[in-house]
Amino acid sequence: MPLYILQRLGMMLLTLWAIVTLTFFLMHAVPGGPFVSERMLAPEIEAALNAKYGLDQPIWVQYLSYLRGIVTLDLGPSFKYPGVSINTMIADGLPVTLRTGLLAVIAVVALGVPLGIVAALNRNRWPDTTVMLIATIGVAIPSYVIATVTLYIFALRLGWVPTFGLDDWRGYILPVFALSGFWISFVARLTRSSLLETFEQDYMTTARAKGLRPGQVLFKHGLRNSLIPVITILGPVVANLITGSFVIEQIFALPGIGRQFVLSITNRDYTAIMGITIFYAAALMVMILIVDLLYAVLDPRIKLTEASA
Amino acid sequence: MTEPILSVRDLKTSFFTQRGEVQAVRGVSFDVYPGEILGIVGESGSGKSITCMSILRLLKPAGRIKSGSAIFDGQDLMTLSEADLSDVRGNRIGMIFQDPMTSLNPTLSVGEQVIETILRHRKATRAEARARAVELFELVRIPSAAERLKSYPHEFSGGMRQRVMIAIALACDPKLLIADEPTTALDVTIQRQILGLLRDLQQRLGMAVILITHDLGVIAEVTDRIVVMYGGLVMETGPVRDLFATPKHPYTRGLLASVPDLRDDTHRRLTPIPGSPPDMAHPPSGCPFTPRCPHAMRICATDLPPIFGIGQGARCWLHHPEAPPSLLPSREKVPEGRMRGPSP
Amino acid sequence: MSDIAPEMWDKLSPSDSAAVTSAPSLTYWQDARRRLFANKPAVVSIIFIVLLILAAIFGPLFSPFTYADQNLRLANIPPAFETYSVADGQGGTTRFFLNASNFNLYEVDAEGHVLGLLRGERKDMLKKSQAFIFGDTTITLDYSKLPARLLAEDGATISPSGWSWNRTYIFGTDQLGRDVLVRQLYGARISLTVAFVATLVNFFIGIFYGGIAGYIGGKTDAVMMRVVEIIATIPLTLYVVLLMVVFDSGLYSIIIAIGSVFWVDMARIVRGQILSLKSQDYVAAARTMGAGTGRILTRHLLPNSIGPIIVTLTMLIPSAIFIESFMSFIGLGVTPPLASWGTLTSDAVETMRAYPHQLFFPAAAISLTMFAFNFLGDGLRDALDPRFRR
Ligand SMILES: Nc1ncnc2c1ncn2[C@@H]1O[C@H](COP(=O)(O)OP(=O)(O)OP(=O)(O)O)[C@@H](O)[C@H]1O
Ligand code: SF4
Ligand SMILES: [Mg+2]
Repeated sequence: MPLYILQRLGMMLLTLWAIVTLTFFLMHAVPGGPFVSERMLAPEIEAALNAKYGLDQPIWVQYLSYLRGIVTLDLGPSFKYPGVSINTMIADGLPVTLRTGLLAVIAVVALGVPLGIVAALNRNRWPDTTVMLIATIGVAIPSYVIATVTLYIFALRLGWVPTFGLDDWRGYILPVFALSGFWISFVARLTRSSLLETFEQDYMTTARAKGLRPGQVLFKHGLRNSLIPVITILGPVVANLITGSFVIEQIFALPGIGRQFVLSITNRDYTAIMGITIFYAAALMVMILIVDLLYAVLDPRIKLTEASA
Repeated sequence: MTEPILSVRDLKTSFFTQRGEVQAVRGVSFDVYPGEILGIVGESGSGKSITCMSILRLLKPAGRIKSGSAIFDGQDLMTLSEADLSDVRGNRIGMIFQDPMTSLNPTLSVGEQVIETILRHRKATRAEARARAVELFELVRIPSAAERLKSYPHEFSGGMRQRVMIAIALACDPKLLIADEPTTALDVTIQRQILGLLRDLQQRLGMAVILITHDLGVIAEVTDRIVVMYGGLVMETGPVRDLFATPKHPYTRGLLASVPDLRDDTHRRLTPIPGSPPDMAHPPSGCPFTPRCPHAMRICATDLPPIFGIGQGARCWLHHPEAPPSLLPSREKVPEGRMRGPSP
Repeated sequence: MSDIAPEMWDKLSPSDSAAVTSAPSLTYWQDARRRLFANKPAVVSIIFIVLLILAAIFGPLFSPFTYADQNLRLANIPPAFETYSVADGQGGTTRFFLNASNFNLYEVDAEGHVLGLLRGERKDMLKKSQAFIFGDTTITLDYSKLPARLLAEDGATISPSGWSWNRTYIFGTDQLGRDVLVRQLYGARISLTVAFVATLVNFFIGIFYGGIAGYIGGKTDAVMMRVVEIIATIPLTLYVVLLMVVFDSGLYSIIIAIGSVFWVDMARIVRGQILSLKSQDYVAAARTMGAGTGRILTRHLLPNSIGPIIVTLTMLIPSAIFIESFMSFIGLGVTPPLASWGTLTSDAVETMRAYPHQLFFPAAAISLTMFAFNFLGDGLRDALDPRFRR
């Protein structure tokens, strides 16, 4: 078990390193980017960047300085706003992003899994067909379309919810819905297909042949096994919901990290783009790690196979 | 004569698939008597497993039992409520499946899988159920039984898993054990061990066993009576000695023909008879064996023969009293009287 | 007892007995096609996709407008309107409609063709009104209170005399007076081009990478799959964003960005297929018969993995369409005046309050397209992939 954790941790660090490196060299290639010395910049920013990364130094020195910054959890100064650090930008946006993200995660688990179960249990009957139709719609419609269309209908037309801001609890409804719509559908479909696959397994027949009651068969033998794939994707889902919300935050004008990201893209705040990308990636990695560990707890087969590998 | 413990009559089971109705079992009848081992043989796809699954109504959603009865201990399992039937499953009838690698739940410890069966059917505390589980593991000869309860299926070999399955099936002292090819997925030495174990347990516990197998050696060795299935139908049935000595059905003969000496106790598989089994989505109206039968007559292609004979019965027109005796195959030296059976 | 005719006991000839067995058997592809065509949503999707492709290719040829033609005087015209008729007292009538959001009157003909902007008198800024003179008749547009009204000389409110579809701009015009329909069609062109090209690029990279890893196996495979594992955990949308920032927006950049990033699934599938097929007998047989590596790959392995590959490809197309429109939506996709469904949506968001129809068309277009590809993908998967056969 500890070996397994170490392995996962190592893999995560390796991936993060790959991401940082890739990001750094991509940004280095941007004409007029942060690591080029000929450009027009506010002198304070120029000085801050220079102090941080030594822009007259060779590229690998800059790279090492950047890596050192990452290791010490310092994402450096903004490329556009004098005196603002990327760390502050992220810290400012984090509460809003976390709050909407967590609500969306709750929505995904609380709606997606039960819907999938209902569909699987009623296979090919109307509850199944209905859930699957809605889920297919939910998977297909892009989140920004859901966001804009619901914004128009429920906020502008009907006035049920505010058009922007989070002063009122109702302000969360649309962003959370737009954010989680895809994943609710995705999880419902996955739960359903995973359950149906589990129902086909021989051990389910064994469970019935033992005379277990339907509830025991479904919950103890069926659900436990079918939820394993669902839990596996929950890591990326959580990370996506907490980080991948940039359009949604943009559309609903929520002051989160995502909006900051889009803003940085629009005004080419390269160091902010870098920093937020790396932050997102790190958040994703950590979530995946957590889920992997959870997975190992749930599935007894993992310990042996991985540790012996 | 003693009453049968299980009496299956005219069982018909179909699967409703995209290809249409697949008639897996087309009217099967047989009896199982207390304390005996009944063997069911037949080619792959002949409906052996579906017959057994139908008896306990364990079919997948696509499968439906169309008609028939299965009287077990005076109760018709086909009309019992689902709740009452689940009191029978795992309790008075135990079941073992073909593939021990997939028939245990990978995410529960093997101990838990035995214990939950006991708790389901017996008034017992967890500790008592545990103690019983250890007892069962010892009975099926799993070494260091008490410790192994905590293991997960993937930590066991195939043979050990099948022992766990047997322990589960025996957990509540069943009167009938249905073993669907319990050794097919195992290698030869393990097969022998498991079979030996089964026969041993059967004699000690005095239960009846339905043993499905491909292995004629097994049949000859351990079963009392045989049911030969083909195309979802019983083709021949009778005491194992009679059937081996004087097979009445051309299909049974085909099965036996390939085996040089039955007393030789090396294991033999059924050697395939040329041709392929009928498509159960479009079953023939006549005898399903017609295309492959060396003795096929015109009537065989159009009319399904009934079972001729009592005791040892064969579903074959050759045994119709009006059938010209000249058609009877003479390859085997079969005494005339035994072959015909009493005239209806 | 003797209801059996004596000749029934005759021996059956071999040909007769052969006839008893004959049952129709379908090949894999026939079977797959039959199952696909039995799947109604998939069939509807195929039809939709074909029509969409045809419309995207040929549609713009039939339009008098191009995606860049602006006519600011005819901006924000809706696809349907309520028309008013005013008699000028000299035997003529003028038909027009009121754009309640920008307080303009547009003259239309009886069929619904838009003829032009009507010129009124000077606007009265204090009273928020404007007079329009039609021969002897004067009517007043009063926008002091919303919604704006048209008043006759006696002060009574004039009500519309009917309504009509917009025959000139079937989907209306956008805020720069460009034809929405033709921009939609160009949007379809862009979205589909990006999707197909990027998918194709992914397809080749994936096949190549996965094929090599699976075929060589061993250490090479282990290392290559570690790399895939790393790439798979990187949030790819972010990387497309980064690449777009580096490359600068534009059609080619987005194709390269999407094309270079989403091949991981394909590589995994191909590798998995090849590993499982490699262990099968006929490959070994081909090898013993002296077939070379390339031949085995193209003649034996790939044709057998084609089912799952097609399914993965079909699923990749909507992802590519989505990413492209998403990038365009946040301003990293194609550059104006080129239109993609993403830019059309984001433009429409700005004018959503006043002209919701501008949002409706791109939102509907991308949603329907995404449905179609999703349903088709599901259908293909059910039809082609034996593991999903139920
Ligand atoms: N889920 C199913 N859907 C459709 N047809 C099925 C299904 N399960 C079984 N069948 C059909 O029922 C018939 C009998 O199957 P069964 O499993 O009883 O054969 P068997 O005699 O046990 O063979 P084997 O020796 O291979 O276990 C087969 O022809 C098979 O095609
Ligand atoms: S009924 Fe006819 S075809 Fe069938 S086994 Fe007997 S002889 Fe052969
Ligand atoms: Mg079977």
